[in-house]
Amino acid sequence: MTLELTYQGNTTIPLEIEGINPDTVEQLTIAEIEKLPIFHGKDKCVLADYFKVSGDAADQHINLSGQLAGVHWIGTKMERGTITIEGDCGRHLGSEMRGGTITVQGNASDWIGAEMRGGHIRVHGNAGHQVGAAYRGSERGMNRGTIIIDGNAGNEIGLTMRRGLIVIGGNAGDLVGFRMLAGTILLCGESGIRHGAGMRRGSIIFMGDQHPQLLPSFRHAVNYQPEFMKVLLRKLRHSGFEVPDDLLDASYDLFHGDMIEGGRGEILLRR
Amino acid sequence: MTTAYLKLAGGYVYDPINGVDGQVQDIWIQDGKIVDPPGPGVRAGRVIDLAGYVVMPGGVDMHCHIAGPKVNMARKMRPEEKRRDEVIERTQKTHSGTMGSVPSTFATGYKYIGLGYTTAFDAAVPPMSARHAHEEFEDTPCIDKGFYVLTGNNHFVMKSIADNEPAKLKGFVAWLLGAAKGYAPKLVNPGGVEVWKHHPRGNVDTVDQMVDHYNVTPRQIISELTRTANEIGLPHPVHIHCNNLGMPGNYSTTLNTMDALNGHNGHITHIQFHSYGGGEGEEETFCSRVPELVEYVNSHENVTVDVGQVMFGETTSMTGDGPLGYYLHNVYGTKWFSADTELESGCGIAPIKYRNKSLVHALQWAIGLEWYLLVDDPWRVVMSTDHPNGGSFLAYPQIIRLLMDSTYRKEVLKTVHPEVMNRCILADLKREYTLNEICIITRSGPAKILGLKNKGHLGAGADADITVYLPHENKETMFELPKYVIKSGIVVVEDGEIREPLLGKTLHVDPDYDKEIEGDISNWFEEYYSIRFRNYPVQDGYLHDAEVVECDPDAS
Repeated sequence: MTLELTYQGNTTIPLEIEGINPDTVEQLTIAEIEKLPIFHGKDKCVLADYFKVSGDAADQHINLSGQLAGVHWIGTKMERGTITIEGDCGRHLGSEMRGGTITVQGNASDWIGAEMRGGHIRVHGNAGHQVGAAYRGSERGMNRGTIIIDGNAGNEIGLTMRRGLIVIGGNAGDLVGFRMLAGTILLCGESGIRHGAGMRRGSIIFMGDQHPQLLPSFRHAVNYQPEFMKVLLRKLRHSGFEVPDDLLDASYDLFHGDMIEGGRGEILLRR
Repeated sequence: MTTAYLKLAGGYVYDPINGVDGQVQDIWIQDGKIVDPPGPGVRAGRVIDLAGYVVMPGGVDMHCHIAGPKVNMARKMRPEEKRRDEVIERTQKTHSGTMGSVPSTFATGYKYIGLGYTTAFDAAVPPMSARHAHEEFEDTPCIDKGFYVLTGNNHFVMKSIADNEPAKLKGFVAWLLGAAKGYAPKLVNPGGVEVWKHHPRGNVDTVDQMVDHYNVTPRQIISELTRTANEIGLPHPVHIHCNNLGMPGNYSTTLNTMDALNGHNGHITHIQFHSYGGGEGEEETFCSRVPELVEYVNSHENVTVDVGQVMFGETTSMTGDGPLGYYLHNVYGTKWFSADTELESGCGIAPIKYRNKSLVHALQWAIGLEWYLLVDDPWRVVMSTDHPNGGSFLAYPQIIRLLMDSTYRKEVLKTVHPEVMNRCILADLKREYTLNEICIITRSGPAKILGLKNKGHLGAGADADITVYLPHENKETMFELPKYVIKSGIVVVEDGEIREPLLGKTLHVDPDYDKEIEGDISNWFEEYYSIRFRNYPVQDGYLHDAEVVECDPDAS
């Protein structure tokens, strides 16, 4: 059985439903779930004020439906189970999550998977800024887990990320992998400027036909066909992400950088 | 019109200034002051039965960082802590707030009073930013507060010393304290901050190194400011953060600093950070040199110290010692803030995490405890964590337990880096503090060192700032949650809940000085400052409820 949360609100004020996760509600009755606290702007209220609650949470699956673009912090600190969102959702999806799977059928806003420690996020539409990023002031962003965005994403993707994989199927904005510590970012479309600025380690892979202009603190090393790319792309294909056959045998220009931070990071540009 | 009496009946009273050591007594309060018992037949408006409870004066934190520009910058630098840590919920009587290593203003007041502390002094405010500190004080409720004024790298001070013009120096220091509505001159790495501001990685290594351009040495700055402050008769003459904080082998600088007081009264702050042996940059030889320093303190009554205890965990270092902030940033690779307050001071802020498995950090922890346990006279050593530099003031109950329970101390010692045993003598120290001694190092002693005649005791005429504890075998439990905290005669905290959030007073000095000096200072401002002389002094309107603490020039 699935726990069905159907949004019935009509408000332009942000609604924050932090803490309503498969692992936190699995032992609760519908009546108890209806009384869980959420925030409407600065006002504390209960889940039933804005959602119709039905079904059963015992199987650790939550299905959210309705106009959820103004609903934020879905799946925050989630540890296991699955969340499915029919349509769009707001900011901070899967923030600090440690396990489980979140699937968004539509678009998601900023800070998807920020500081996540594990689990899997799949957005079939577009995403906003700071996917897998560190929150302002934090030393590390995403530190394990996978985020796959089928569409486009905004700026600062993987800001200060430490581990994990971020895949953007479409285009991205500026500063992909800004101050990245480690991990992997794969970008299939076009992108903006200043990627990898301040990166210490990690890999940023640009698969698109239009190469971004790299910062002068990145140095060309070699053109090659890295074996790990085939493994990575096959794994993505296996997860349902569309990967054309010709990409499997592509070659890449490897650049080391950011030399300002020791030059142990790498940027790959597909030829 | 006088108010009704409040009577605290039958508690075990600890009042070391008046020689009371746990005797059962009544305390009578009227109009915010402790008064003599009114005599037979007079009934109190309210009687609180304290049979079985311990009664002490309210705590006095003489060295912490709770207001002003660097504190606020540290708050802004640590949003990650704010997200993670406890949230102070708004109530009908109190404001909301945030914690982390640098709590927000209202939260700071609530947490101090909740711990039984009724007075706190911010240790380093650039006089130019005094307004900021006063405005934050207005949002720091429940406690009385004041601040020390950074003077050890002030250009006018150094020039007056270099030009051998003691009258000008004396007039300027007195004017500056009055203008800032501050409490005492603070010397932070005297001369060294100015060198840092002029040279890449610059600093001074010894108290006898010349501060170029001004042609003075740190020793001259320390000696002259101390002599001048004592001449002015300030209640707390000088508060000194020595040169070379945190550096291996810095104990000799600390000894030289004490020597530079030339017998005048002076307070060496967070001395734990200045008690290290070992070669420069060598962890292999890093060790405690507390015994040598304690020997000096024990034999020189003009010197008092507070400890600056390090406690394990995450915190934020903030200091007027600009080069120190840069040093910490390089050592730990964390984010860093540096500021230059034009002709007055510097500033450095960096997050830091003290780890019990780190030899250096564990040794710092042990060295702090050595200070408490080795100084003969508890009136000369004061409890502090240099909040938040060594840890939060909220760690005071744990420090009390470490001092009162040698078994617990040994247990904790077993959990830290094992090499600590070989680098200091903490494991050999059996001393256990009594409640009376704890009362001295947390309230009576600091009040006396600060020259606060109405605080730190429970005699007639004292401010009715009182904390009531339920005795407990675990002293950390006892001290972390007072039963009552009474501020200015009003029960502000009961069972951990704030009943009446008073605002509290600002304590400052207003020394006399030769008005002729204002011409020189005015010319100096017009020539060098970015602010005009007439706009510089803090107007009375910035002080919500002020008390001027008198100076006594005859005492020098």
